[in-house]
Amino acid sequence: MSHPILSCEHLTKSFRHTLIPVRHLQERIAFPLRRKKWWVRTVVDNVSFDLQKGEWVGVYGPNGCGKTTLMRMLAGLLPPDAGTVACRADISCFFELSIGFHEERTAEENVRMHAMLQGLPPKGVAEILGHVREFAGIHEHWDLPLKCYSVGQRLRLGFAVTTASPADVLLLDEILAVGDADFQKRCRQRLKDLKHSGRSALIVSHSLADLEAMCDRVLFMEKGCVVREETAAVA
Amino acid sequence: MHRYTWRQMFRIVWVVGWSDFVLKYRGSLLGYLWSLAAPLAKFLVIYYVFKPLVGGEIAQYPLYLFLGIIMWEHFTVTTTNCMTALREKQAFFMKIPFPRILIMLIVGWTNMIIFLTHFLIFVAGVLIIGDTQWLPWLYIPVLLVQMTLLALGVGMLLASYCLKYRDILHLWGILSQVLFWLTPITYAYKLDRPISEQWKRLIEIIHHPSLHTVFDLFVQFQPLSLLTYDMRRVTLYAADLSFPSAVHIGGVTLVLMALFAISAAVYHHRSKYFIEEY
Repeated sequence: MSHPILSCEHLTKSFRHTLIPVRHLQERIAFPLRRKKWWVRTVVDNVSFDLQKGEWVGVYGPNGCGKTTLMRMLAGLLPPDAGTVACRADISCFFELSIGFHEERTAEENVRMHAMLQGLPPKGVAEILGHVREFAGIHEHWDLPLKCYSVGQRLRLGFAVTTASPADVLLLDEILAVGDADFQKRCRQRLKDLKHSGRSALIVSHSLADLEAMCDRVLFMEKGCVVREETAAVA
Repeated sequence: MHRYTWRQMFRIVWVVGWSDFVLKYRGSLLGYLWSLAAPLAKFLVIYYVFKPLVGGEIAQYPLYLFLGIIMWEHFTVTTTNCMTALREKQAFFMKIPFPRILIMLIVGWTNMIIFLTHFLIFVAGVLIIGDTQWLPWLYIPVLLVQMTLLALGVGMLLASYCLKYRDILHLWGILSQVLFWLTPITYAYKLDRPISEQWKRLIEIIHHPSLHTVFDLFVQFQPLSLLTYDMRRVTLYAADLSFPSAVHIGGVTLVLMALFAISAAVYHHRSKYFIEEY
């Protein structure tokens, strides 16, 4: 069997916060020995799995079970407390229904900046601009700053940028909650096309039916752990 | 994470830095002229107050003062922007995996563009009322690099902890007010002996400790004083003061590079926790 394109072993992450937040340097200097009460919660607990090239894996679970934290660690945005992540390809992310846009910039400027930060060459940036403009369907808003966009238009733009990226691995968090019924239909078709083109993806969703329809297998998470795995009947 | 080549990173910093510069003044009534408002207002007030006091002993005092103020503005605005950029670009930090140091380099480049536009006004002033030799001006690119190393070195250290401790931005505002008066911007700076010999004065402090000597030494040795002094002697007083020696140039550059490298390492380590600290 070939090497997985993305894998993690024994991934663990805890969040630790003071109950009375100490956020001031002056307080830290004035009272260096003050004892604090800590709130600690293990959000991801000893998670291991592989993602093979061309494979689509769904992650399903209730709110607060650690899905987004797991995705962030896989993307390299959060350092794990323990365990390792091995990634052998470029990653494109879509978290919390957006990809990080600037309100004062136009769609073109935002897309250009996003593509550059993903490390695309000038030719790749130009190609992405064309794809995004075509797919997002926001022609009349293209040259306006993002603050003039409706929530739905922003989501469409975010989806279009994420899926236009040539990255081999897509990390998609609640991507199917985007836009109206017509746009959702186009989204599903776009995801199918991406799958057929050989990309790999890890998808988080609260819709088990969607995950089963799109993914090769689904991981079920509860309280930070993967409790079971099911092979899905891919459409 | 995608492996970024030096060329890619240079391109990102260049393009996004220009884009931030344009965005900053887009749509405002006076546009770029607003960036001049702070140094110009400061210059006019300080010139009015200090001209009768020190104007006689410092040749070309208006240019001396203006150059000091725009260098100071560059330093404080860059260091402050390193901290505020973490909030302004929060969405990038939260959602895109990329080398975090790029944001700091973009801040450095945007503020260097603003400084260069202010410097052009200084050049116009030299052409109109100044008296200078132009050959030593070739040294200015080295000084610009040193200024950036210093501002980003300090800025990255502050940015590394400003999300963990929310009052760092406020404390830096107070500290920079003190630092303004401990930098020879409005008054004369004298380096009557080479820096290598000045270190001997440390012994003087040990034998005869006094607050005045400590402040005096700080004003002479703090890097912003040295850079301001070097910029002035190259642009305004090349005929009277010697050109910076190779030891001086190498020494200052090495110290600033070390500061930048340490700050970059601290920032790299701390930036992993920014998402948790937002």
